[in-house]
Amino acid sequence: MNQDRKITVEDLLRLKRAERPPAEFWAKFDAEIRAKQLSAIVSRRPWWVGLIRGFSGVRRMQLPLGAAAAVALTWAGLHYAGSRPVTVQVLPAAVTVTRAPEATAAVPAPQPVKLSIAVHEVVESSPRDLAAAEKPVVAATSSHLVQAPAALSAEATSASPFADGIAVTLADYRSMTVDVARTPTFGSDREFEPSIAPSHPQVSDPLAHVDPAEERRERLLAPALGPRQITGDWMKQRASTEVRMYESMDDHTSSDRSLVGFRF
Amino acid sequence: MNAAKTLEKALVASPERKLEADADLAVVRQVQAGDVQAFDRLIGKYRERVVGIIYNMTSNREDAADLAQDAFIKAFQSIHRFQGQASFFTWLYRIAVNSTLSHLRKNRLRSFFSLESIREEDAVSREVIDALTDKSGAGRDTFVRELQEKLNDAMQKLSINHRTVVTLFEIDGLSHQEIADVMECSVGTVRSRLHYAKQLLQAELQPYLPK
Repeated sequence: MNQDRKITVEDLLRLKRAERPPAEFWAKFDAEIRAKQLSAIVSRRPWWVGLIRGFSGVRRMQLPLGAAAAVALTWAGLHYAGSRPVTVQVLPAAVTVTRAPEATAAVPAPQPVKLSIAVHEVVESSPRDLAAAEKPVVAATSSHLVQAPAALSAEATSASPFADGIAVTLADYRSMTVDVARTPTFGSDREFEPSIAPSHPQVSDPLAHVDPAEERRERLLAPALGPRQITGDWMKQRASTEVRMYESMDDHTSSDRSLVGFRF
Repeated sequence: MNAAKTLEKALVASPERKLEADADLAVVRQVQAGDVQAFDRLIGKYRERVVGIIYNMTSNREDAADLAQDAFIKAFQSIHRFQGQASFFTWLYRIAVNSTLSHLRKNRLRSFFSLESIREEDAVSREVIDALTDKSGAGRDTFVRELQEKLNDAMQKLSINHRTVVTLFEIDGLSHQEIADVMECSVGTVRSRLHYAKQLLQAELQPYLPK
C-alpha cells in the first residue's frame, strides 16, 4: 500500500475507464450492428413514421399551442356571438297557442272546449324588436324547441347557430320557470279537467252497471236454485240468449244440411 | 497557471477535437453522398467510447451493447439530416445519451449490474489500486472486485442526469461546453450537477478515500 499517494474521487472514477470488454465482445458487437444496419437499409418504414417525426417538434410546444388555441377559440366565439343582437322570445307550453291582440288572461275564451292561454313574451333587445313582436306567432305544437326557432326565424334577427341554440335553451328555461312559478303544485291538474273532459267522446262501458259481488253470488247459487231462479239482469239475458240459440239450432239440425254463418 | 489551464481544458474543446470533427465531417459527407461503407469507419472509431459511456451510465454491458447499436443505427438512418453545425461526435453522443436516458427512465425499477473486469494494463488504474491495497494474487482480485462493485453502486445512487455528467466529464473526458451541447443544457447546469455529484460520491466512497 502506497501511503504517499493521496486518493481522490477522481482517481477512483478513473478506475472505471479501465473497465473494458474483451475482444470477443467487439466481434459480436460488429456482427450484430451490421445485421441491424442491413435490416435498416432493406426495411421500408411506414408512411406514418414521417408524420410522427414531423409532429415531434410540435409535441414539445403542446402546452403553449393548446393555450393559444383555447384563447383563440374563446375570442372567436365571443366575437362571433357579440357581433349580432340576440332576440330571446319565451313561449309557454300550450296545446293550442293563438295570440290575438284581445286575448288576455282576464278575458274568457269564447269556446269552453278550447284552451286559450295568453302568450308571454320576454324580449331582450331593442324597442324595434318589441314592436315587431306584436305580430301574431302561431305555433301548432307544444314543444318550445320547435316554437322558439320558428319565432326567431320570423324575426330574422339572429343568423348565428350559437345564438339560436342559446335562445332556445334560455326560452325553455324561462318558460319552465314561469310555469312552475305560476302554477300551484297541487290541484293544478284538476283545474283543467272540466275544460278538457268534454272534448273526449262519451264511452259506454257494458259492465259499468254490473255488481261483481252480486253477479258472483248468483252464478254460484244458480245450480242449487234452478234455472228459473236467476234474478240477475246479465244472467237472465245470457240464459235467454242461449235458449234462443239452442232453439234455432234445433230448427237447422232438423234438416240434412246446416247453415253456419259468421258475423264480424 | 495550472488551474487556469485545467479550467480552459474543462471549458473549451481541445484543438485535437476540432481536427477530429473536421475529419468526421468529411466522412459524413461521403455517407450522405451514398457511400454506405464509409459509415463503418465512424462505427469503428466511436464504438468503444459510445459503449463506454452507456456502460458507465447503466452498469450493464448487455444493455450497453444493445443501446450503442441502436444509437449507431439511429445515426445512420438520420445522417441525411446532419448539417455539420455541431461536430459529429457531439451529435452521436446526444443520440446515445438520449437513448440511454430514455431506457433508464423506462426501466427505473429494473437495475442490476453486469460488469466488465478492470484491466490493470492502465498505469493510472494500477497506481490507484496499489495505493489502496498491498495485497497480491487472489486477495487483490477480490479487493478490486469489491471496489468496482462499490463504485458502480455509488454511481447508480446518483440521479440519471448527475450520473451522465460524471460519466461524460470524469470518464470520457469531455469539456463542460461539450457536455452542455450533448445534454442540451447550460454550462452552469453542468458545473452544478458535477459539483453535487462529486459530493455524493465522496460520501459514498469514504471508506476508500484515506485521510
